[in-house]
Amino acid sequence: MNRLIAGALVVLALLGALGGAAATAESEAGGRTLYLERCGGCHLKGGFATRVLARRVPAGQAELEQREALPAAYVVSAVRHGIGSMPQIRPAELSDADLAEIAHYLDKSS
Amino acid sequence: MMELDSVKLERALQLFAGIVGEEHVWRGEAARCAYKDAMPPRDPMSYAPQGAVAPASVEEVQAIVRIAAELGVPLWPISRGKNFGYGGSAPRIAGVVMLDLIRMNRILDVNAELGYALVEPGVGFDDLYHYLVDNGIPLWLSAPAHTWGSVMGNALERGVGSTPYGEHASKVCGLEIVTGTGELLRTGMGAMENSDTWQLFPYGFGPSWDRAFMQSNFGIVTKMGIWLMPEPEHTLTLTMNLERIEDLPAGIDALRPLKLDGTVQANPSFGNVVRSLAMRTPRSAYYKGTGPMPADILEQARRDAGVGHWKFDIRLFGNKRVNQVNAERVREAFASSVPYDFVESEWNRGEPLRNSGSPLPSLAALGVVDWLGGPGGHLTFSPVSVFSGSEAWKQYSIIRGMYEDAGFDYYGGFTAGQRYLNHINMIVFNSDDEEMIVRANRLFRNLIETAARNGWGEYRTHTLYYDEVAQSYGYNNGALRRWNEAVKDAVDPHGIIAPGKMGIWPRSYREARS
Repeated sequence: MNRLIAGALVVLALLGALGGAAATAESEAGGRTLYLERCGGCHLKGGFATRVLARRVPAGQAELEQREALPAAYVVSAVRHGIGSMPQIRPAELSDADLAEIAHYLDKSS
Repeated sequence: MMELDSVKLERALQLFAGIVGEEHVWRGEAARCAYKDAMPPRDPMSYAPQGAVAPASVEEVQAIVRIAAELGVPLWPISRGKNFGYGGSAPRIAGVVMLDLIRMNRILDVNAELGYALVEPGVGFDDLYHYLVDNGIPLWLSAPAHTWGSVMGNALERGVGSTPYGEHASKVCGLEIVTGTGELLRTGMGAMENSDTWQLFPYGFGPSWDRAFMQSNFGIVTKMGIWLMPEPEHTLTLTMNLERIEDLPAGIDALRPLKLDGTVQANPSFGNVVRSLAMRTPRSAYYKGTGPMPADILEQARRDAGVGHWKFDIRLFGNKRVNQVNAERVREAFASSVPYDFVESEWNRGEPLRNSGSPLPSLAALGVVDWLGGPGGHLTFSPVSVFSGSEAWKQYSIIRGMYEDAGFDYYGGFTAGQRYLNHINMIVFNSDDEEMIVRANRLFRNLIETAARNGWGEYRTHTLYYDEVAQSYGYNNGALRRWNEAVKDAVDPHGIIAPGKMGIWPRSYREARS
């Protein structure tokens, strides 16, 4: 491989990595926006769900964004089936793609 | 109950997918889970549907209805499905396909000068609120306790809000309907081509049909005109806590003339102490025993929380000087009736809307279902009462006694119409406690029977109790029910729109039952 081609590949790889990071940041921003818009009515500070969860989860983790661990699969299941006093949210009102973004945003390990 | 043929069902779903796209059709477990009753008084899967389709346009609704009519596949239309306590997004029977209209969510017109909106079924109260605020349109909507639901669905079910436009059904002006044969119909002035008064004059020419499509299964409403209140320049709120249970009749009698002559145009609601406490914290904060809370503990909880046995707001909307004159009339009426003072607050146009009386987006009211610790289920019992202290007291005493005999706290209140009271009370139960659910259902059936014996009819009920309540409207051997079913057979000859809604069954179901 000559140096010119090798250099070009390094640049491309760097651009790719930067593009990936930008895409991830964009996805997280989208997930957060969706979370605030679609879940915020209940799950932000002072919301009904936050009040209910404060009695059920460790201190300081009642807001979903503060939860130490919230696997994406768990979020998807809770949303689609309902959990506790939370009604299920159906695909016609929250698409699988939007739900996946929200779940990804809340999943700290992802 | 009639079963839905699985081959016919699959054929219908395939054809529906051809209209709306496969991604907007759901089958089997996915449909049953998505459209189950979220706060159920019975196993929710026992009345969950077998399929669902979500169209995005009137034309798609028409095409779906034509196929459903041809194949004999019943549809259960919902707007947003947030009618919790009355069945939510669930149908009456399992053998249906949900017609989910939530994707039809356009605000088609808002006229600031004439004060109305034209909306599709999927438009939520939050959507309309934000549209008005974001576009600086000086109109206020009226909304029920939580704002997750559909503007149209709530009005068609005769929901209630707390502004002068709070009797939502009375503010509907003009509907568009897809009939049971897939035709398109417009009511009132909408029946005239190019009419510019569809949302202005509610009656049209000849019979007026808007109200026939409320709490009914005669057609699928795809557009609704709704009047919106001009933003007031001022609101004045008078809040009172009645400290003794027996103060209720005097409070109601003091309010009646003020409602009747229009001094008070909004719909004040006398909410009981449990309603006030449940908005703050679950019952276990006050009492950990079973059965209804003992009177002494409830009294202590009331004092600690600083609420009355009954609490109500009288909110005046409009011109500041007129509000001040009317407030004086309110003060005088209550000063001669009960020994308490109002706590008062004012709002002026331009100030933040919080506490103005404009309904802000909120889901806080859903929190009350956690009263017993949850997961929260509830059944709402909603008889109408004469607007009279003695009649309301009689109804309250009997119903509260029945709640307590059944081991439940009485949770409820009286919301004032102009000449009636809606006595909205709620059996809150834990939806994972089978014994409690059995008791809740037994109490609900007893409430319907007791109310009927006393001449008290429900204005609205849970899907599972449509038949029992419809039966209580039994004058002349059920003449109204027979009339409704005669109309049903005529306008929906295939019997495919919401069979059993409000106890109105198509001919084929009646024949199968008999």
